[in-house]
Amino acid sequence: MEMDVWNHLINGFATAGTPANLMWAFVGCALGTATGVLPGIGPATAVAMLLPITAKVDATASMIFFAGIYYGAMYGGSTTSILLNTPSNSSSMVTAMEGNKMAKSGRAGAALATSAIGSFIAGTFATVVVTLFAPMLARYAVQLGPPEYFMLMLLAFTTVSAVLGQSTLRGLVALFIGLGIGLVGMDQITGQARYTGGVPELLDGINIVLVAVGLFAVAEAMHVVLFEGKQIRHEHKLTRVTMSRADWRRSIPAWIRGTAIGAPFGCIPAGGTEIPTFLSYAVEKNLAKGSNREEFGTVGAIEGVAGPEAANNATVTTAMIPLLTLGIPVSNTTAVMLGAFQNYGIQPGPQLFTNSAALVWALIASLYIGNVMLLVLNLPLVGLWVKLLKIPRPRLYAGILIFSTVGAYGMRQSMFDLFMLYGIGVLGLVMRRFNIPSAPVVVAMILGPLAEAQLRNAMSIGEGSAMVFLQRPVSVIMIFVVIGVLVLPRILKKRGVVL
Amino acid sequence: MLDDRSRRYQTAIAVGTMLLALAMGYVALSIPSDAGYAGVGPNFLPWVVSVSLLLCSGFMIYEVRTGGFREMEEASSGDAHPFWLGFAWMSAGMLGGAALIDTIGFVLSCTLCFVFAARGLREAEGESLRGWKPWFTDVISGLLISAPVYWVFGMFLAIKLPGLTQSGWL
Repeated sequence: MEMDVWNHLINGFATAGTPANLMWAFVGCALGTATGVLPGIGPATAVAMLLPITAKVDATASMIFFAGIYYGAMYGGSTTSILLNTPSNSSSMVTAMEGNKMAKSGRAGAALATSAIGSFIAGTFATVVVTLFAPMLARYAVQLGPPEYFMLMLLAFTTVSAVLGQSTLRGLVALFIGLGIGLVGMDQITGQARYTGGVPELLDGINIVLVAVGLFAVAEAMHVVLFEGKQIRHEHKLTRVTMSRADWRRSIPAWIRGTAIGAPFGCIPAGGTEIPTFLSYAVEKNLAKGSNREEFGTVGAIEGVAGPEAANNATVTTAMIPLLTLGIPVSNTTAVMLGAFQNYGIQPGPQLFTNSAALVWALIASLYIGNVMLLVLNLPLVGLWVKLLKIPRPRLYAGILIFSTVGAYGMRQSMFDLFMLYGIGVLGLVMRRFNIPSAPVVVAMILGPLAEAQLRNAMSIGEGSAMVFLQRPVSVIMIFVVIGVLVLPRILKKRGVVL
Repeated sequence: MLDDRSRRYQTAIAVGTMLLALAMGYVALSIPSDAGYAGVGPNFLPWVVSVSLLLCSGFMIYEVRTGGFREMEEASSGDAHPFWLGFAWMSAGMLGGAALIDTIGFVLSCTLCFVFAARGLREAEGESLRGWKPWFTDVISGLLISAPVYWVFGMFLAIKLPGLTQSGWL
């Protein structure tokens, strides 16, 4: 078995190492870093805008490209959260807490260095985890039937809506709106049209591109023009990107701890980087002693950047495991990537490792290559990306609208889609204003139809009886996990345990 | 405590959710229930979604009546007073661009969208916008972004975006 993984990986490197695929990986990483650095546009949006290329570019190349954008954005995001007082995405929020303080006291360079090197170490280690565990999990997952899959998806719905985010109620509203959006179009099993209102454009369903680009990019631009006009952005000065010996001594253990905390979180279909990054931050703060401890929240402690950054990248990378082996995305970006697979008629799941072995292993190999590329892009070349922060806001957001148009219109050249994009943008604006999270919408709309199909197949196995979910051990365990995930955080909160 | 304006808005969101739930339920009535062996047919999930949304909206109304939505971020960043003029410019750009894209082609309609949206954003930032110069720079910027995008997508990726002419350049 071990040899098997090794051979596959070498073949993967051979595929990913062709000049064309290296080029895709590089462009993906560079584009990802840029989208990470630019406020107002994240990896999910960038991948969604570029989904139309799946019509032309072959599957392996485009998945390498999208994966590059996906983790490139994590590197770029930390640059912005360290140098700017507004973090560009939620997973960089923790980095912003200490990183910003460090930048304010003239240590931006050290903060950037520890976050880039930490991301590299965590990303590489997590890729090793993917290499070793994904095939194992795939072999096991082959045995899972529709009831187990349905329960896994239920778990993903529960965590993304009820556990992450501030309010369970608003998370659930978002989840059901997403499920509702997923319902539009033809029912997969019977071909019955649902919620199309007789509009022919809606028979194919509402495309993930429209929803992701509308909710994230368009809604963001609308929010900026309505509410953020007078907000002043303050940019910290970039200092030389190096670390002192003391910085290394303090960073290394934090990287290791962050990786150890982050990696397991990505593996389970209960994703989101918020919990592992906050957990890592709390751990570092508690472990720090003496003068190092006093730096937390005052001049900025380097451990508080190193740990959470490592945790973030480890989680993001191992999140490829549930995506590839189970076909279950747990974040915006992995949901959009699942959409990309579907465009090729590929359904990620345990069979992926046998049916599309070449593609999967090339993708895994490209994760190793991409991490090296990103280290180079983000350490010596960081000054280049920082220039992106100088783009004046009106031109940045107006430009984002152009790219939104390309993504939405490029799918099937329909004017209808552009009007719909505007409508979804308004929906996203309202949701943002009232703190209704958008991740559950995207995950639910893409996973909803799959979950529905699994539910109906499972019920068929049980000959129309829901008892089927209670007759299979794995399914019963999953039910308990779902209940646990719902109940445990509440008990902990009542007892005053703060994560 | 919740001020009157926030209460009105939050009530509107809750009632909107309720109306959505009711509308989905109404449509679900007409979706056939033919379940085959499965016991659940194509109308099952629609019912689950509409009933759940209805329950959620009930809870939302309860929250509004007892002090407002829970755990809201403080003033969720930015001004409390929306700048509608800027929003109108942006909307005009997006909707106008969408309406005209099949007629005037991708490059020009995207430039139109860019110029209007940028105008709204500049107004929002309180720039002084006298004379033709801001218009001119925005038109040029818009063209400089949308034309290369059009060429890259059309020529390298073979994604057919509409042109004003058949040349492939504009």
